Amino acid sequence: MANRIIVALKGEAKGFYRNKSTMFWTVAFPLLLILLFGAIFSASGGTYDLYVQDLSDSQASHQFLEAVNLTGSVNLKYIDRQANLDQYIKDNSLSAVLVVPTNFQMAFVPGAGNNTTQLTMRMDPSQSSSNVVFSIVSAVANQANLALAQGSNVITMGRADITSAGFNYIDFFIPGVIALTTMTTTIFWMVSVMTRYRNNGIFKKLTTTPITRMEWLTSQILWQLFVVFLSIAVIMVVGMLAFNTHMSLTPVAIITIVLSSALFSSMGMIIARFIKEEEAASAAANAITFPMMFLAGIFFPLSMFPSWLAAVANVLPLTYVGNALRDSMVYDNIASATNNMLVVAGFTVVLFIAGILFSKWKTE
Amino acid sequence: MRDLFKTYGNLKAVDRISFDVNAGEVFSLLGPNGAGKTTTVEILECLRPLTSGEVKVLGMDVNRDANKIKRRIGVLPQDFNAFDLLTVKENIEFFGGMYDKSIDADELIDAVDLREKRDEYFKNLSGGLKQRVGVAISMVNDPEIVFLDEPTTGLDPKARRDVWGVIRSMKTKDKTVVLTTHYMEEAEVLSDRVGIIDHGKFIAFGTPKEIIDKHGSGSRCIISNCDDRCLAALQGQWPSAEKNNGEIIIRLESKNSLPEVIYTLDRSGGNYEQIQVTRPTLEDVFLSLTGKKLVGVETEPVRGKKKKKGRRGVD
Repeated sequence: MANRIIVALKGEAKGFYRNKSTMFWTVAFPLLLILLFGAIFSASGGTYDLYVQDLSDSQASHQFLEAVNLTGSVNLKYIDRQANLDQYIKDNSLSAVLVVPTNFQMAFVPGAGNNTTQLTMRMDPSQSSSNVVFSIVSAVANQANLALAQGSNVITMGRADITSAGFNYIDFFIPGVIALTTMTTTIFWMVSVMTRYRNNGIFKKLTTTPITRMEWLTSQILWQLFVVFLSIAVIMVVGMLAFNTHMSLTPVAIITIVLSSALFSSMGMIIARFIKEEEAASAAANAITFPMMFLAGIFFPLSMFPSWLAAVANVLPLTYVGNALRDSMVYDNIASATNNMLVVAGFTVVLFIAGILFSKWKTE
Repeated sequence: MRDLFKTYGNLKAVDRISFDVNAGEVFSLLGPNGAGKTTTVEILECLRPLTSGEVKVLGMDVNRDANKIKRRIGVLPQDFNAFDLLTVKENIEFFGGMYDKSIDADELIDAVDLREKRDEYFKNLSGGLKQRVGVAISMVNDPEIVFLDEPTTGLDPKARRDVWGVIRSMKTKDKTVVLTTHYMEEAEVLSDRVGIIDHGKFIAFGTPKEIIDKHGSGSRCIISNCDDRCLAALQGQWPSAEKNNGEIIIRLESKNSLPEVIYTLDRSGGNYEQIQVTRPTLEDVFLSLTGKKLVGVETEPVRGKKKKKGRRGVD
């Protein structure tokens, strides 16, 4: 029995290795996703250019700008005092310029008559980066105001991410891509293998030999696990090299991946059972995986979803696969990961039994 | 008899047929498409459940002992395909791996004469070569019975004869072969016994010779391009002779018929082009039994074994 499973496994491995395009896309699809989305969202973690025209050029203005610089979030670039600002903005397509007025120094002299000064931020509000810069400058100005009023630093400003350990979008995204890859790899493999082997007669030939349906399915699932873990390894290495992500394959994550491979293989089996043509069946698999990909919180956190959409997400198995992987690989929340994993296990058992019952091996 | 099996099918496709196959013989199920041939053999191969009846293969019941039977039979299914991206050798080894014991792939490759294509991907082979791979795979577990379901359908005449050669060589290895075909000629050339099946029932059963003798119309003599004098003489003697495009076809009822035809022709003093004598074929039998023609009538003649060339010169 074990021997037959290994023979079937080896057969699939050779076919996979020789079908270069399948092999390429199995690995390239998740990589493309990571590199693309990683590049789009990682911009928010960097620094912004802030152009400054310092008309005051005084000790006070120097100190203020130094304080802005110290936040580490902006990259100051000075514009000559004599420059025509409108022309300069036009020539250089700037989206945010800070103008320090000539009377800036005066505001800091205690007892001087006019104690207010107006910093002007010329900005394009449609650019999110200029809004960020504005809030940084405002924060520094507030701090300066407080310092003036009370003579000492009461409040200091620091920049930090929402989660304490400094997680960003790519950390959120990579476990989702792993869940997604597990789903697409196994579902499409099962659909294409089952329809193809049925239509070209390989199933019929296999049925005439002593191999049983369970042995054959086992070989397919083992092979799928190998392919899935291969893609995961590539995803994690690229995540580490390109985006400096920090995550590890925990036992809960590994069990979740194994379970979800069986889950989505079964789903593929059920699709192939009802749709006989290879192309129609893979279109059906697309129709199931594509919406699930967007609805299961792979690309955006479920908290961003309207409540009715979040309710839809709550019945999709992929949601729980993604949650279990994120909780265990990134957020280190083992309790929540385990709960999600158990939901995945439930889905797996139901679909696996349905898959076995539905997929007929014998012809009537 | 050890290798004995029976079917009493009661499917719509197969209507209560019964037969035995003897060990070591080539048995053919012959009939048009949809006659029930494939259904019958797929029941024997334990691929389909039977509605009612009793079917034994190698003395075992197909319902209860399917797994034991599968180990001891080899099958070439209809429309056979193997794995496209495995080579000939790897495909044979793959299916060999499904059994506890299997024959060495190279030995089988030699048996079906595919040495040059040994490392070729299956998808790059022509139809005839694919079928030969299929035949090799059907023997990979050294089976006692080999089922070949329409092994030559869709092949060109040359490829067909190559497959026939391989099937003949099986017989020399004492294998029992059950063949289905809708080519009369194939059944006639290869089989020891034939069952002609139509609408799920046997309409004739026996050795090709028996069937032809029983149901055939006897040998015929065809004389082409007869002139009027020949024609008149022949028709006087054989009023029932068919006339067809200047040919006249006379059924030869006894051993003496042919000399009589020639004597008549000679005496008439007329002219004719040639005399040809044809043996009746299973095709004629099918035609006379059902009143219809089989599909895919083989037009190319079967060549017998090549005559030994006489040696010239020194002896």
